[in-house]
Amino acid sequence: MSAPRLEANSLSKTFGATKVLDSADLVVNAGEIHALVGQNGSGKSTMVKILTGFHAPDPGGSVFLDGNELSLPVRWQEASDAGISVVHQDLGLLDHLSVAENIGVGGFIHSRFLRKINWQAQRQVAKDVLDRLDVQVDPAMPVALLTPAQRAEIGIARALRDQAAGTGLVILDEATRALPRDELARFHTLLRRVVDEGTSVLMVSHNLDEVLGLSDRVTILRDGRVVGAGLVTSELSEQEIARIMLGKSVDRVSRSAPSISQKPAATVHDLTWGLVEDFSITVTEGEVVGLTGLPGSGFEAIPYLVTGALRPESGTLTTARGSVDLASASVADCLKSGVALVPERRDRDGLAYEMSIQDNIALPSLSRRGKPWRVSRGWQRQQAIEAIEELGIRARSANTLVKELSGGNQQKVLMAKWLSVGPRLFVLHEPTQAVDVGARRDLLQAIRDNAAEGIGVLLVSIEPSDLVDVCDRILVFRPHQPLVELRTENADDVLDAIYEDTTSATGGHHEH
Amino acid sequence: MSIDPQNESAAARLSGDTDASGRIISDDGEAADAAPAPSRVTLRKQYEPSWLHTITSKYALVVVWFVMALVFYALMPDKFGTGAAFTSIFGSQQVLVFLAMAALVTLVVGEFDLSIASIMGLSATMVTVLAGLHGVNIWVAVVIALAASVICGAVNAFFVVVLEVSSFVVTLGTGTLLLGLAEFISGSNIISVSNDAFSNLSNYRILGMPASFYYGIALGLIIAYVLAFTPLGRHMIFVGSSREVARLAGIPVQGIRAGAYMVGGLLSGLAGVILVSTVGGFSSSSATIYLLPALAAVFLGTAVVQPGMFNPIGTLIAIYFLATGIFGLQLLGFSGWIQNVFYGAGLVIAVALAKIVRSRAGSA
Repeated sequence: MSAPRLEANSLSKTFGATKVLDSADLVVNAGEIHALVGQNGSGKSTMVKILTGFHAPDPGGSVFLDGNELSLPVRWQEASDAGISVVHQDLGLLDHLSVAENIGVGGFIHSRFLRKINWQAQRQVAKDVLDRLDVQVDPAMPVALLTPAQRAEIGIARALRDQAAGTGLVILDEATRALPRDELARFHTLLRRVVDEGTSVLMVSHNLDEVLGLSDRVTILRDGRVVGAGLVTSELSEQEIARIMLGKSVDRVSRSAPSISQKPAATVHDLTWGLVEDFSITVTEGEVVGLTGLPGSGFEAIPYLVTGALRPESGTLTTARGSVDLASASVADCLKSGVALVPERRDRDGLAYEMSIQDNIALPSLSRRGKPWRVSRGWQRQQAIEAIEELGIRARSANTLVKELSGGNQQKVLMAKWLSVGPRLFVLHEPTQAVDVGARRDLLQAIRDNAAEGIGVLLVSIEPSDLVDVCDRILVFRPHQPLVELRTENADDVLDAIYEDTTSATGGHHEH
Repeated sequence: MSIDPQNESAAARLSGDTDASGRIISDDGEAADAAPAPSRVTLRKQYEPSWLHTITSKYALVVVWFVMALVFYALMPDKFGTGAAFTSIFGSQQVLVFLAMAALVTLVVGEFDLSIASIMGLSATMVTVLAGLHGVNIWVAVVIALAASVICGAVNAFFVVVLEVSSFVVTLGTGTLLLGLAEFISGSNIISVSNDAFSNLSNYRILGMPASFYYGIALGLIIAYVLAFTPLGRHMIFVGSSREVARLAGIPVQGIRAGAYMVGGLLSGLAGVILVSTVGGFSSSSATIYLLPALAAVFLGTAVVQPGMFNPIGTLIAIYFLATGIFGLQLLGFSGWIQNVFYGAGLVIAVALAKIVRSRAGSA
């Protein structure tokens, strides 16, 4: 029997006093898609970083590629020559350059003396690899004009550029994160084509759904150890993988008995902006309302429109503290009315990454709780420590910088920041994006718990499983049509409603 | 499916020990997740930075400063160890302190102001021309110069904040323009002002130091207090750290940015007033030599006290660190050129070292 494509034996990595990776083995066979999963901090990114030479492993391990031992620590040039390539999360594409240039980066063909790049040869290289992958993209096209799926394809094409068909190992480090789900299928077909040639793929992913649908085998890490080595994916369920990953069964979000009063927490009237026309909604106290729709259909703007972050053409927000004209309201006005927003982009809009957990959580309360000439630190610290404990934020202390946290913990800090202002209506946009399963559960549970205390929640998301897990009712937005209301715990019902073409709304009734 | 039996017990331990409220508070991600679960108290203690770590990461520049002073003292005890030496180091930097604080106020909110030295020059020129040539009351001249400085800041703010033109371009332009204006007003002459009360404003001795030394220290302390302990200061830091995050927190971002330019203009104007008051005269062409030292000090200040952040106490330390080094080197016989070499090298090396120390500390 031939040697596996990649065989890593007892890789360990110690940072300070902590063993982040503990004698981990990984075997990837030729021509398979192998998934590497684990919570944040389980060691999967450390494993990838060892394989790509970013980290030096502790002495004692070994890495073989097609039976040939690589020197440790891995030297990237050697690994690359041996056939390992990586597609990173952000794909590393330069928007203003052409497809051919992006594929060529790192291996430009140039003349010997003037070192002038041979663009004709370069375009040919790009064309060859695109043809091989059956990707229909003009090599001269600027990458900026491509769809997300095409961009991912270009990322793969670059990774496969120097590899003969049927050899090598492509590591996908969360590379599908940016892909809209309706384009995932196309990307998956491409990956299948790659592995059917004999190339191997090692995919690191948060998305268990994707892991199940795509990979042949899966290696599961927990706390730096391999707790499931090369399990055959087809014999597993999402639930089982999650259970092995977490070391406990994933509890569903628990809901206390419905405590929905009839008192409205907030009402939005006649909101109009772009594709959003005369949108109205009432969220009562203690209720979690979901809002979803086709990606790009315009509903994504609604969380920003109702919180003053984006000004609509018209619209009114009414809470117990009075009415606000959204067409002229500022974020501060909406905050005063008790409406808080957890934006989708936690890196750009949500948190200041260079600041501490404590500072970030305190930000919206400084003026209210402090005096103009003095804000004390005591309550800020207290508030941060409470958030750390209540939401289970993994951090050294309240003074840890947000940039040092994992995605899930950052998202918890963001949620704590806005819960700390004591909102009447809590608006969240994609709160579980790119967080691990454990954090997702904690976040959704926190939403439920806060609703139980009387806060009205508007959850805007394209994740049907999130919506059915926490929402009391789900509104499906479609342009130029009335909202469809669903009360269901089945994610498929939500998908059906989103993708339904006809105007007849089955099983729902309209809300205005 | 094969599950390592060793880990079953770990699983049991994990599921038993950690619930929503009693979760392990440990470092996230790469570092401490794999550690066994110690109690929260021991973790707090474990991560409490040691004094040695605090000194190396936060006060390394101060240590270098003292070592440098000791070396100078050992080499020239009779010259460097005197009170006169102390006064010349600490009593000569006031203008730079005010100008550096002007730069700091804008840098904190994420803006860049290259026109500060020119505003200072214009302010100093206006004081000397109005009082020295036109016989205007000196205090009236000061008020007019300061008002003009604030207006210069407002003009910068208009272009940068309202029209969203790059701050680099705008302040480079206004800086050059204002310098030309100052030269026009003064006719490129050195104009002197003699007024005892005005001179005493800066030069009156308190405990052997000129009064303006204390103004500079007080200014640094006030800005430090505002940044650390008032809503305005915290908001400024967030505006500088992430403008969009600040906006979505309901902070008046545009107002804070514009305000920073105007306060920067005011402080630059004050630097000009202190300069004229200390020296008794001014030549508009000398304004530009202050720009780079002021910016260098602010950036060097990011290596101390609050590493990685613009902070006024760090800026003060940086200014006196640089002054000590230059004074000592000049005593050793190096001529004027050493000033630029020391400023430049000190800035790059200190900030680079601070970054290295910080990243070491971060990954340990």
